[in-house]
Amino acid sequence: MTPLVKVSRLVLALIAVGGAACDFEIANPNSPDIIGENPNRSQVAASSIGLLIATRSDVADWALDGALLGREAYRFDGSDPRFTGEMMQGPLDPGSRAFGGDHWAEPYAAIRSANNLLAVIGTATALTAEEQNAVRGYAHTLQAYNLLIVLDAHTQDQIPIDVGTDVTAPPAPLATNAEAYTRVIQLLDGAVPELVGGGAAFPFTLPAGFSGFNTPATFVQFNRALRARVAVYRADYAGALTALGESFILTPITPLDLDLGVYMDFSAGAGDLPNPLAQDPRVGENFGNPLLRTQAQLQADGVSLDRRFLTKLVPRDLRSAGTPQALNSDLGWIRYPSPNSPIPLIKNEELILLRAEANLGLLNPGAAVTDINLVRTISGGLPVYGGPVDQASVLAELLYNKRYSLMYEGAHSWIDYRRYGLTALLTGLDRPGPPPDTIFPTLPIPTAELLPR
Amino acid sequence: MVFRVFGTFLLLFLPVHLAAAQVRQITGRVTNAATGQGLAEATIAVNGTRIVGQTGTDGNFVLNAPDGDLNLVVRGIGYKRQEVALPESQRTVNVALEPDVFKLEEIVITGQATGVARQNLPNAVATVDAGELTRAPAQTLESALQGKIPGALIQANSGAPGGGYQLSLRGVSTINGSTDPLYVVDGIVISNAAIPNGANAVTQAQAGGNPRNQDNAVNRIADLNPEDIEQIEVLKGGSAAAIYGSKATNGVVIITTKKGRQGKPQFNISQRFGFSSRANELGSRNFATLAEALSVFTDTATVTALYQPGRSFNFEEEIYGKKGLSYETNASVSGGSENTQYYISGLVKKDAGIATNTGYDKQALRSNLTQELGAGVQVQVNLSGTHSVSDRGVSNNDNSGTSPFLVFPFTPNFVDLAAANANAENLQPGDFPRNPFERSNPLQTFQFLKNDEDVWRLMGTSTLRWSVLQSARHSLQFMGVGGVDYFQQDNNFVSPPELQFEPNDGQPGTVVLSKSSNRNLNLSFNGTHTFTGGGEGPQFTTSAGFQYEERRLFATQVIGRNLLTGQQSPQQAASQSVLSNIQPVRDLGFFAQEEVLLAGQKLLLTAGVRADRSSSNGDPGKYFFYPKLAASYRFVRPFGGVDELKLRGAYGQTGNRAQFGALFSPDTTATIGGNSGTFIGNRAGDPNIKPERQEEFEGGIDATFANGRAELTLTGYQRNIKDLLLEQTLAPSSGQENRIFSSASTLRNRGVEASLTLSPVRSASVNWVFRTTFFANRSKITRLTVPTFQTGGFALSLGTYQLEQDSSATQIFGSEGKVGDATPDFQMSFSNDIDFNRFTLGFLVDWKKGGDIINLTQFLYDAGQNSVDFVEPGGGAARIARFGEGFTQPYVQDGSYLKLREVNLSYNLSDRTTAAIFGSAIRTARISLTGRNLLRVTPYDGLDPEVSNFGNQAIVRNIDVAPFPPSRSFYFSIDLGF
Repeated sequence: MTPLVKVSRLVLALIAVGGAACDFEIANPNSPDIIGENPNRSQVAASSIGLLIATRSDVADWALDGALLGREAYRFDGSDPRFTGEMMQGPLDPGSRAFGGDHWAEPYAAIRSANNLLAVIGTATALTAEEQNAVRGYAHTLQAYNLLIVLDAHTQDQIPIDVGTDVTAPPAPLATNAEAYTRVIQLLDGAVPELVGGGAAFPFTLPAGFSGFNTPATFVQFNRALRARVAVYRADYAGALTALGESFILTPITPLDLDLGVYMDFSAGAGDLPNPLAQDPRVGENFGNPLLRTQAQLQADGVSLDRRFLTKLVPRDLRSAGTPQALNSDLGWIRYPSPNSPIPLIKNEELILLRAEANLGLLNPGAAVTDINLVRTISGGLPVYGGPVDQASVLAELLYNKRYSLMYEGAHSWIDYRRYGLTALLTGLDRPGPPPDTIFPTLPIPTAELLPR
Repeated sequence: MVFRVFGTFLLLFLPVHLAAAQVRQITGRVTNAATGQGLAEATIAVNGTRIVGQTGTDGNFVLNAPDGDLNLVVRGIGYKRQEVALPESQRTVNVALEPDVFKLEEIVITGQATGVARQNLPNAVATVDAGELTRAPAQTLESALQGKIPGALIQANSGAPGGGYQLSLRGVSTINGSTDPLYVVDGIVISNAAIPNGANAVTQAQAGGNPRNQDNAVNRIADLNPEDIEQIEVLKGGSAAAIYGSKATNGVVIITTKKGRQGKPQFNISQRFGFSSRANELGSRNFATLAEALSVFTDTATVTALYQPGRSFNFEEEIYGKKGLSYETNASVSGGSENTQYYISGLVKKDAGIATNTGYDKQALRSNLTQELGAGVQVQVNLSGTHSVSDRGVSNNDNSGTSPFLVFPFTPNFVDLAAANANAENLQPGDFPRNPFERSNPLQTFQFLKNDEDVWRLMGTSTLRWSVLQSARHSLQFMGVGGVDYFQQDNNFVSPPELQFEPNDGQPGTVVLSKSSNRNLNLSFNGTHTFTGGGEGPQFTTSAGFQYEERRLFATQVIGRNLLTGQQSPQQAASQSVLSNIQPVRDLGFFAQEEVLLAGQKLLLTAGVRADRSSSNGDPGKYFFYPKLAASYRFVRPFGGVDELKLRGAYGQTGNRAQFGALFSPDTTATIGGNSGTFIGNRAGDPNIKPERQEEFEGGIDATFANGRAELTLTGYQRNIKDLLLEQTLAPSSGQENRIFSSASTLRNRGVEASLTLSPVRSASVNWVFRTTFFANRSKITRLTVPTFQTGGFALSLGTYQLEQDSSATQIFGSEGKVGDATPDFQMSFSNDIDFNRFTLGFLVDWKKGGDIINLTQFLYDAGQNSVDFVEPGGGAARIARFGEGFTQPYVQDGSYLKLREVNLSYNLSDRTTAAIFGSAIRTARISLTGRNLLRVTPYDGLDPEVSNFGNQAIVRNIDVAPFPPSRSFYFSIDLGF
């Protein structure tokens, strides 16, 4: 045997060994693929719950930023002066993902997750037609919720609505704000027949925050509650009352009745997300705006402040931050005492106040006061409203109650005072500047959204 | 011609030329022509045979050679080769070898297993030998290379002990592909992975608007022991590295470890002692009056209680002012018989960090064995084991108020953060005062927080060389290499519940236990045939082979929150989460290369091709081809004063891989209330992903002149990179944030490299070598198929990188538009090595001109109205006011620097002194004083212009957020040989 033959045999043997060891098709070992055609029950369930988790991504952040923009809270974060700078003095930076450019990517990601699920749900032969419908109604409702967050944060006419398609395609066209609201309403209204035809149960288990609303029939009430909120925002007061009638609104007797609602769950459990707003109120970075104390009304005893203030904020050592002038606060938040504290998406207390607002919008301040008094007495421990019952006075009283009932829960002050052009009522402790603190009417459209166009 | 060579490749039945039976003994001496001293370990080979002899320590040799007229080839490392004709009658011979100051005869590896002498080399390949590498002690290999490779930008990511460096060659070679050069040690590709240490669980850095990891990870090339390295070759790009194919665009660093040589055992021991001290501080604002303090810190009660006129504390000194003893012991023994040679070394090293509870310990063992098995078969087995432990504290960006340089900007210097009983033996967290101005007290944090990185690394290579044929004309060699590089990295990050910041998230105490392992399995085989025309005749070298590589990185992390006092395990933590990441890759490549030396060894022509497939490509079955061509011609004494002039040109292609996972569009999984779900991930992948392709042209002139006293090399290159992998930022309304894909975009780099080496004095008592290098590179995105986009940084207003067509790839944008560019204008280095009798003085100066840095640390100090120059004209107040008006420029600053990288002054004791002190068993003794990074000149306002908050990055480096401060180090060493 010549050396050549020996060598070539060796080479061939080595190549064979190498080749045999090589399987060059390697699947992604780290995460599952996105949901595809004909998903089984567990894939549908995972994707449905995933949609809820995607929706959760922005909930706490929205509560915090909304509280900064609506002057309920300060955040003295030594690592990032933008909480007292950019978010309060501006300029809002559309290129900063966590500040001016926020409350955009997360809701749209949830909308896309819903689209992925909706695209294949019809092929899920493992599910009954009713179950498929239930999933559709659920997904459409959450899509509406997410698009509403985008609209709450952005009042410009630059809101993409036909979104969540092929990422290699050009971005969705920009629609007007009104068109986007119309889309929210379509999604909510379209979900109702889907849920109604959705059978007795969802093909997945909703977490504790949806207790009482975890079947298609009860989930509709959550859908209608959102519909009432949108109607009020669009000054469709009659529509709001109709939607409220189909929602879970309940005339309260105890504070617990006011808490009835749909909540987003947080947990310190494995793989879960602890509530990022939970903090030790003595040392945490999130502070209450002392104006909330100044403006709080007195309880019936004439001494104690509004119970809603007392149960959500506690005194702490004075801290200050900000440049060139400082903001000061000695109030720490206890609204979310534990990493397991849920954040409300919508609750009965808001529905009562939405009914008041709708009645007021229908020029019926007397009916509005009735509902306001329910909240004042049961939630705030305040005496019944004793002021003049005219449109302007009752509106001011309504806004006060929305502020104290819904503070730190999702930008309610910012949105409500903004809608009536009354944000000046919130600027009592603002720094005169330069640069002066400013209550911004809207966040800018993110740079990343406009650059590719 | 090539066909003829392939013909000879196949004609293998040529008889092996055997030595004649008659034997005569030849004796002689080999000396250094400059000094006349005997030369140890020089080899004397009888041309056309396998007979090789070696000189002893005095330069004498004895050789058994056949009768007849002989040609002896005498070689010594670092000397020019000399051929001596030995007539039949002659039995003694003395040879004086000329020092090869410019390494013209050094063999540079140009293929997988072949090399050519530097004097013929068609590329500007940089080589660094052991002497240059260990002029001053270095913690890791990269710091020992700084300033030594024209064309390379080597920068630390921070001053933290234990490494973390980026080596980039010839500018920006990718935007979103892999950034690492390929590291090849003794023929196997090793891992340079950088695995985060888990600090993010506490710092929450990734929560702040930039999802890139900011843990200040160490890239694992840090595990090599620089003392074991004989030579490093750096192939800088496509034209030189094409034979390494689809992983070589970022260059190839070929590392050869030391081997034993025939002879008695030679022991070398070097013992070093030294210390490191911090090289720079930022300082902070002094408040002259209580009123001034109250104008910034409005908590009247606290400030009034703490403020005392004239009292200030230097927090930086309190944390980073340690000067603990560092030591290093290196020992090696090498030697061998005719058939067996060995090199065995050990290292024990402890570097005390400048910060409380930081440092770097390393232990290493290496055994390299070579065994002749007879019949032309040789095996070489290289084994090394390394263990290192580093404790790096906390640094870089955070969102929880834990990094010292994120706390200092908001903490006035009149508050005392030190423990009342600072020198007590058993400090408790409660001994430290609360920092009333911020969320943490960094002195407390550094005293009790643990961030240990424990790495075990084993590398083993077996190389089989079979010399099938060795005659005067033909040689045929086969080489098979099998090797494994395996490491396990354990990170133990413990933040006890008593730390001031810990209760802030409602879950006091955090522990992150990470275990990561990486396995690189290599198998390669190649054959090389050489035909020599005899004398100055043509020489053909043909080689071909294949290379298989398998990598598997497996990283896991268990995070536990809400701990009890003393609890160090996540097992009992009230809240637990787990991260895991697996990255398996398989690659296979085939290559062939032909090198031809013609015209009296003056003309070199090279052609080669490589074909690669990989599991990380969209089509794992597809082969990608990477060709190369190169030529050089030497003119000997072309005109007066010039000894030799070489013109060279080379062209080649290489590839660059996407980062692992670019193929996939992964979903995200998470849990809500006990139900798990999947939803869309942030990033969309590309199922058709393929490697980037770099085409590089390189041309240059090498000249030696003034009778071998000067060498000049000039190189110009252009590299075009196409099929650029892009991570395009999507309109977020699409529901995903970015997408990685193979685009039709192109990137161009053009640059020049030059080096001038002078050897002005070369005598028996004085030897002086001066070397200077120059490098400049410009990049340009020549085509961008996606809209202009921004990447890196935290926000436009805080500086970000903007990628747009017809612009530099590293331009920095701020609110007002373009505000800078991270690419240096140029880099230069100057080194001097002077031997004066028994003294040796060496130093290296590294100069970078230009290259901007986004200084967010200063931004934070200014925002806290606490910068040292806050009230000075043009100081912090002016900067932050300008920033408030919508300008980012004040915080984008010139990162030029001039650093005295290395200084070494040593004294070689005379034989008599050596014997008197250490006894006659000691052969050589040397004492040295060395220093690293002793001096620095820079206009930059931050701690150090070598900084990268995001670690190793293709583009988004030069972002300064609360880094670990730099240090300088001093050593005293004793080296003994016996």
